[in-house]
Amino acid sequence: MASHNSEIIGRSFGDRVLFGLVILLALVMAGPVLYVIALSLKDNKELMVDPHSVFHMPYTIKNYIDTIGTSNVFSWVFNSIIVAGGLTVFTLILSSLAGYGFARLNFPGRAVLFVIVLLGLAVPEQAVLIARHQIFSWLGLHNSYPGLILPGLSSAFGVFLMTQYFRAIPKELDEAAILDNASRFRVFWKVLLPLTVPAQATLGIFTFLGAWNDYFWPLISATKKEMFTLTVGIASTQMNFAQSQGIGFLMAQAVFAGAPILIIYLFFQKYIVTAVSGAAVR
Amino acid sequence: MTASIDINKVTKRFGSLTVLDELSLSIPANEFVVFLGPSGCGKSTLLRMIAGLESVDSGEILINGERIDDQPPGQRGVAMVFQSYALYPHMTVRDNMAFGLKNISVDRAVIEARIAEAARMLEIGHLLDRKPGQLSGGQRQRVAIGRAVVKEPKAFLFDEPLSNLDAALRTRTRIELAQLHQRLKSTMIFVTHDQIEAMTLADRIVVMNNRKIEQIGAPMEIYNRPASRFVAGFVGAPAMNFLPVTIRENAGFVAATTGAGLELTTAIPTSGLPDGPFELGIRSEHVRITPPTANAAEGVVDVLERLGERTLVYVRLGDGQQIVGSDSGDSRVAVGDRVGLAFEGAKAHLFDASGRAWHGGEAGHG
Repeated sequence: MASHNSEIIGRSFGDRVLFGLVILLALVMAGPVLYVIALSLKDNKELMVDPHSVFHMPYTIKNYIDTIGTSNVFSWVFNSIIVAGGLTVFTLILSSLAGYGFARLNFPGRAVLFVIVLLGLAVPEQAVLIARHQIFSWLGLHNSYPGLILPGLSSAFGVFLMTQYFRAIPKELDEAAILDNASRFRVFWKVLLPLTVPAQATLGIFTFLGAWNDYFWPLISATKKEMFTLTVGIASTQMNFAQSQGIGFLMAQAVFAGAPILIIYLFFQKYIVTAVSGAAVR
Repeated sequence: MTASIDINKVTKRFGSLTVLDELSLSIPANEFVVFLGPSGCGKSTLLRMIAGLESVDSGEILINGERIDDQPPGQRGVAMVFQSYALYPHMTVRDNMAFGLKNISVDRAVIEARIAEAARMLEIGHLLDRKPGQLSGGQRQRVAIGRAVVKEPKAFLFDEPLSNLDAALRTRTRIELAQLHQRLKSTMIFVTHDQIEAMTLADRIVVMNNRKIEQIGAPMEIYNRPASRFVAGFVGAPAMNFLPVTIRENAGFVAATTGAGLELTTAIPTSGLPDGPFELGIRSEHVRITPPTANAAEGVVDVLERLGERTLVYVRLGDGQQIVGSDSGDSRVAVGDRVGLAFEGAKAHLFDASGRAWHGGEAGHG
């Protein structure tokens, strides 16, 4: 009995320590975000005089009003939504079709082709950057949405993920549907694709977040201000206007920039946790 | 709706491996046929070839006299119930049952009527709006059958559909399948490795082994007059006892002598028998347990299996061979006892070196 009690106490103590560590970690993670929000609510002149004024009143929403009135941040957000959204939609379509093909269709060279796709995972973006830049330049695709979207469509990760997911679906479902007079496309569309929703969610979230946060390719491809994505736009503000317009104004833009992604996190929290833990992939 | 099925010299290969070799079989309309055999014997492959899920390398398959092995699966007029049930997990029971009919543009009212009738027959009306994940194994099984029934197929194909059920549910579902067959009067082909399912459900059993058909016959014909040593050993629980014997003629019939020196007079005619060696086969119910006597085989009881109405007694003979005999349900025999064995020689079977069976009675051999 005594050992039983001590076990409960020990477990409870361990839980408390763990809980404390989790809170500490959450504060470390949340600290910079809270600091950004606090800075965005401070008057720029006050911050110039006293950087520590961020920790006390008064606060103001002037930076947000200025952002809405003067900044390009909304056009950058719009560009990012088009690029990240378009990339996500097309990646899901292409990866699903390719995954179905690799998992279910027998065609010559399937195994070799799949290995080639997997090799795509090992090729760093930097290695193909110059060639890609050159090709897109010849095609006149720089400073356009296709120019920003197309490079991300060849998602080796997406094809691999969807192939593995389709492979995990029992073939008896295909066979039952074929015996039910379904065409191959109907088997794919009506029977198999709905079963891949968890994998689609995983791939969609990773693709959207990756595209939203991508800085490298938009920096190269989008040289005109009106085609800047959010990451490139914010960076240009930081370089050009941080000193002249103030850190509070910059942070207000950062909050605007982060809002869409925060909303996505809130809506898709369950899927994101599943995606990150890998539980969606059987 | 029902149909006869003819399989003519069908061969199936997977790469260099031949899994079915020039196999022929005729199934009349309305018959309940069971393909019985061990894993890997090709029984499921044959079923899938009838369904159209596997191609035919040579030979032909006909339904109602029309060749169908070159037709797509959906146009053959057969419905299949899979071992895993293969219900579409994201669709409700109603949608699962309607899917096949929607694909061939059946009128919505007709679909609803068929679903209602099948649901009433299978007692799944209250499950129609649930998804497969919300059903028990037995309910899923009924839905899978319902999905087949609504298609009003020419023939039903069952691929080990009871394997995933627990013992009690399996017995109940077996009876329900037999009743379903009586109600629908449809041709049914059922694949199993379970001989009890085969014996209880089949009008005829097709015993398969090693790429070919070993025997086709009614359940009791298969049991009483197995065509080969394989069938004799595979059908029946416990398996038939086999004893190496030497034979001699006794008034036109075989007299067999076991390794332990016991001589049995059988009802098997000696005419036509090839040269030896031979094995004698006898089922446990034809080996009675007696008190030890000087002129009978005897041995020591190894294991007892009390089945209620009878007791199976596993006896180790002097030469190390184990024989399964049968005693009354309230047998007082205990493990370690020395007992005698009384063989009913007239019920014995003889198997030659090729595995072919020779029986007593008017037929001569199987």
